[in-house]
Amino acid sequence: MLRIGVIGTGAIAAVHLDGWRQMPGIELVGYYDILPEAAERAAQKYGGRVFGSMDDLFAAVDLVDICSPGTAHKENVLAAAAARKAIICEKPLARHLRDAVEMVETCERAGVPLFPAQVVRFFPMYRAVKDAIDSGAIGAPGVFRSARCGSFPRPGRDFSAPYYADFNQSGGVVLDVAVHDIDFARWCCGDVERVFARGLTFAGRQYQDHALITLRFISGAIGHIEASWSHPRGNFRTRIEVAGDGGLVEWDSLDRPALVAELYDAEQGFRHLGSSPSSVTDEPYYAELAHFVEVVEGRAEPVVTARDGLEAVRVALAAIESMRTGRPITMRDFGG
Amino acid sequence: MTNQPIRIGFLGVAHLHSTSYVRSLLAMPGVEVAGMYDGNEALAAEWSERFAVPRYAGAGDLLAAGLDAVVVCSENALHRPYVEQAAGRVKAILCEKPISTTTADAKAMIDICRAAGTKLQIAFPVRFAPSVIELKRQLDAGLLGEVFTVNCTNHGSMPGGWFIDHDLAGGGAVLDHTVHVIDVLRWFWGAEVTEVYAEIGDSLLHPGLGIDDAGLLSFTLSNGIYGTLDTSWSRPPSYTIWGDVKLEILGERGVVYGDTLHQYVSVASNAAGKTRWAGYGSDMDAGLMADFVDMIRTGRDPSITGEDGMAAMQVALAAYESARTGQPVKLANL
Repeated sequence: MLRIGVIGTGAIAAVHLDGWRQMPGIELVGYYDILPEAAERAAQKYGGRVFGSMDDLFAAVDLVDICSPGTAHKENVLAAAAARKAIICEKPLARHLRDAVEMVETCERAGVPLFPAQVVRFFPMYRAVKDAIDSGAIGAPGVFRSARCGSFPRPGRDFSAPYYADFNQSGGVVLDVAVHDIDFARWCCGDVERVFARGLTFAGRQYQDHALITLRFISGAIGHIEASWSHPRGNFRTRIEVAGDGGLVEWDSLDRPALVAELYDAEQGFRHLGSSPSSVTDEPYYAELAHFVEVVEGRAEPVVTARDGLEAVRVALAAIESMRTGRPITMRDFGG
Repeated sequence: MTNQPIRIGFLGVAHLHSTSYVRSLLAMPGVEVAGMYDGNEALAAEWSERFAVPRYAGAGDLLAAGLDAVVVCSENALHRPYVEQAAGRVKAILCEKPISTTTADAKAMIDICRAAGTKLQIAFPVRFAPSVIELKRQLDAGLLGEVFTVNCTNHGSMPGGWFIDHDLAGGGAVLDHTVHVIDVLRWFWGAEVTEVYAEIGDSLLHPGLGIDDAGLLSFTLSNGIYGTLDTSWSRPPSYTIWGDVKLEILGERGVVYGDTLHQYVSVASNAAGKTRWAGYGSDMDAGLMADFVDMIRTGRDPSITGEDGMAAMQVALAAYESARTGQPVKLANL
């Protein structure tokens, strides 16, 4: 039975832990966090024990799930690689390209798998888009469009707030959010040749960030990605569309969900509540973690590799560089 | 005002919009569609018969028939010669978009009309879509507060015919579908596009097409707003509708998702072999025609000028220039 240890027990860990808790055939052993009280809360809620150091945790597990802030990924990954543990690392792999390269190369040398948690590949509607492309239904992809728009991660709410608001730590909305769509775009259209971007990252606005990124792929296809931390709080809008020379596939979160409840009462007035439930195994984070377990146990080939995670970071950093300089960035020449 | 009907002729009907424009005019009281001419005899005969509009053997013959105004709805590259012929012979000209295929042509058209005292209006019907009018009202009322950015699409289906003949069209999807949205943005804010970067695909979605069929424009406006526009002919024949005009506008107070054609009934047809969206929204072409007729009646200035048409076209030309050079293009450099 594969033994799982989690490093970092903040917001994204809670989503992973919901998955681990429901997964058969694994053992959720415990947690390490630089804030012991956070690890203690996770242990109380999800079971398992709190470890006083990363090394103590490594000694008790087979697979390390790194859910710490991006600035801690490198230290965590290098330590886990030295301990010869299989690694899942949340996105983005690292804030800086040289760090991401060092992480990937260290894991390759150590012979340990490093799975970047590019979870969009495991969202069922995105998987269905990829399946439609792979089936040949739309022909060769020509124009890729996607959007991922939410509000600014709540300032002052918890430990992570200053992380998101500090570009030097998080890389802003491009590295934190657009990196998802960049990875998915590469999965659909192949490697990126050139990037251009405009946005708010360097506009000097507190708690606002937004980007419109255009891509040229080596295949000749073109792409557009919107990433926002400036949309109104309370909604999260995503959209994907790929047009090919034989058809078109698209999905939009604004479309009506599978389940809609409309309610009225005097206190709250009219309420419109939509949801799109899926079975546990189709929940994207569960599906992602279960896939990595299958790969570690030799039952599947990885659908996303450390090199994919690295390239997504490299393209995201190029988009940031384009936004900063106002110039298109050619990926061949871009070294961070 | 007199009780005489306003007599309007069609100079060139190669653009599909001519069929919608003529239907609107034929339904309008006090308007007579007095004649038509097109250099393509087969097309002219078919069009003339279909709408029961007298066909003339030459543009000069039509212009000698005592017209108040003409609608120029020809291939893009023929806009200039038709407008030059009509200037001074009619009170007003409505010219299909894009105004022309080069800045020199656009300037010549504007200059000759001004010198001749003929009013020149460019056909940008999107300004007359009720959802776009309401969106402008909301923006003017400060609904979004300070606006940061726009994410726009004007997708279409590959139209074929002269639209993919570079000599007649002047360009493909980028020229065809840049100008509508850029015109609306200029109208919203009274701002000009200052810089354009573009990724353009030639024959990307239609192998062997021989002209651009996909385009992504990234631009800045003189009021500080930045945005993108997808001009691609990316709606395949199997799709539900020919295209879209979408404007997503983000500001400090929220976001507006504008989808101009999202007023439709869904029609599943075994005969068509697919499901089609049949629009029920108010006819923006009819709004454009009513505005044009009102201009002729009242003698006021055009609501959309030749300069508006030229400015929108120059953004498309800048996009082609950017794709050629691989760099952003400042509009002042054109």
